[in-house]
Amino acid sequence: MSFAAILFYLFGALAVLFALSMLLNVHNTVAGALSLVVTMVSLAAIYVLLEAHFVAAIQIMVYAGAIVVLFLFVVMLLNLRDDDFAPGRQRLVRVAGALVGVFALAQFLRWLAPGLPELPAVPAGFGGHRAVGIALYTDYVLLVELIALLLLAAIVGALVLAKRKLDS
Amino acid sequence: MIPETIFVAVLAPIGFAAIGAMLVLLGEVLLSRSQSFLGRPWNARLVGSVLAGVSMLSLLLGLFVSIQWFASGDVQVFNPAHPLLQLDRFSALASALIITAALLSCALATYYLEVVGINHAEYYALLLLATAGMLTMVTAIDFLPLFVGLELMSIPLYALAGFDRRRLSSNESALKYFLIGSFASAVLLYGVALLYGATGSTSFAALREGFDPQSPLALTGLGLVVVGFAFKISAVPFHQWAPDVYEGAPSSVTAYMSVAVKATGVLALLRLLALGAAPLGGVGATVLDGPDAGLLDASLGQVLGGLAALSMIVGNLMAVIQDNVKRLLAYSSVAHAGYLLVGVAAGTAEAWSAAVFYLIVYTFMNLGAFAIVVALAQGGRDCERVASFAGLARARPGLAALMTIFLLALTGIPPTAGFFAKFGVFSAAVNVGLVPLAIIGVVMSVVSVYAYLRIPVLMYMHEPEEFAGAPAQAQSGERFVLLACAVAVLALGILPNGGTLLDFSLGEQRFALSVPSVLDWARAAVAFLVP
Repeated sequence: MSFAAILFYLFGALAVLFALSMLLNVHNTVAGALSLVVTMVSLAAIYVLLEAHFVAAIQIMVYAGAIVVLFLFVVMLLNLRDDDFAPGRQRLVRVAGALVGVFALAQFLRWLAPGLPELPAVPAGFGGHRAVGIALYTDYVLLVELIALLLLAAIVGALVLAKRKLDS
Repeated sequence: MIPETIFVAVLAPIGFAAIGAMLVLLGEVLLSRSQSFLGRPWNARLVGSVLAGVSMLSLLLGLFVSIQWFASGDVQVFNPAHPLLQLDRFSALASALIITAALLSCALATYYLEVVGINHAEYYALLLLATAGMLTMVTAIDFLPLFVGLELMSIPLYALAGFDRRRLSSNESALKYFLIGSFASAVLLYGVALLYGATGSTSFAALREGFDPQSPLALTGLGLVVVGFAFKISAVPFHQWAPDVYEGAPSSVTAYMSVAVKATGVLALLRLLALGAAPLGGVGATVLDGPDAGLLDASLGQVLGGLAALSMIVGNLMAVIQDNVKRLLAYSSVAHAGYLLVGVAAGTAEAWSAAVFYLIVYTFMNLGAFAIVVALAQGGRDCERVASFAGLARARPGLAALMTIFLLALTGIPPTAGFFAKFGVFSAAVNVGLVPLAIIGVVMSVVSVYAYLRIPVLMYMHEPEEFAGAPAQAQSGERFVLLACAVAVLALGILPNGGTLLDFSLGEQRFALSVPSVLDWARAAVAFLVP
């Protein structure tokens, strides 16, 4: 199995695991948001493996950066209490459990690895800024324009709902 | 790489709506800042009327283009190298229907916004942007414009639902609609992503080529897409948002939402099924043919049929116990989503024509019923309680008579168009053997008689309760909408097969002004999809 394939399955598993972790962390929203960061970064790593460097960079900047920061802002503004956060002793149990889990997972992966398919080759020029730009501004230019309208609608809508006083 | 010819005409209806929205936004800024000839600032009400006029003008242009396109029967794609949108007879008729609904909603809103005290130009801009999104959805032949159109439709509607900012129920409505709507969009997008994974392309044509009915990935994807649409058209069990949102949103917004979003959802779903999914020959027909029929056909037909049955049952039963008119009409719209889905599930060209005809009729009868609610708003409040309709026939006989017509149409009683619409859908279902669905539909229509006809009984046979004071006069915009809807509901009922209106000779020239039946229009449009 090639190094790229190992990395792909590693990041794929990470993305799935932390997506689950985000769902399970209902009481601790900050941990949930940070799990989301790991998922986003893992996805970005998968994009890098696809040689889509531009998409990967955008993924990190927009999702892992801006959107999760927005989430954290909201979480802090809402000032959620984490009363039912577990005390220290349970945390130790959790760490031990996690270690056992990782070990079991590693064994499982070792057993699974030979059966996993290899990655097909990526076509040349796929996913670079040039390819993305050409696709966006030739084939999909209409969608870019429509999304501009969408942004206009979102701005107008947000102003309507949030502006202090609408009458001039 | 750059296409040689670009058919901008395909974008004309969407473009008119979008340009109209921008003109309204610009106009609001310019008019409210500038001063009139006498050096006084413009009257807010006048500014509102001018901007409503601008938006209606842009919609009229779009309507004109759509009708012309329907008449010519041309087909053009944008752009030929990488088709995303396609203007054909079906999408032209769909655009015309949506634009008509938007036009009537604009006319309906002008005075209502004043009464409720939310007369801001952003209303028209958001309405036009939502319309542009709907037009994109029904013109799309690829999942990407379909999804962008869905968002462009939904986001302005979230804001419109909360447009009456001082009222808590309006805020609640916007928030609920936003949360559930985003969830529905995400479900649909997830389905699209799975279908992309299964077929390697987002276009409807590639979906049709590459769809493997045995592949769990493709089936899950299609299922999620159907669920996304079911949320948008508020089919049971994805309907829970509808009553709260319809009740809380300003009535003029509810009127627009209840007809335009449903029309867009059903028409876009029909387009997707016809261009992208099963080889047609009857989704419903194959339900009967048993296991040797394609899995996709049978299972999809059953899913849609199940949604239809549940929607008809739950919608009508819940409508019976409502004591708020807007909630009653919300559950009624859930039930009508069920009747529409009967036509979609039956899957023949006849059934789909019937469903499109049903949509056209539904647009007018439902918009009419909401227009009455809008026209009854007084002193900044909606007239929402069913009980407050008591004795309306004495206080405002015209409105009471029109409301009775619309409610009879919603029930499906001849000679209103509602009867022929229901008749068409159910007979198409029986023709492909979906007898249980037709039976459920008829029984539930009988149940709905009680839900709807409570109101005429109250209006004509009870003493007035709230309308003791001097009733306001219906304004010109409202009157126009009410009359247009009433004429449409009656004319579509009396002339279900078209007819010759004027037939006279003048000298040697013979004039025959015939009315092409709307049912024929629907047939022509669907015939494009299902040759």
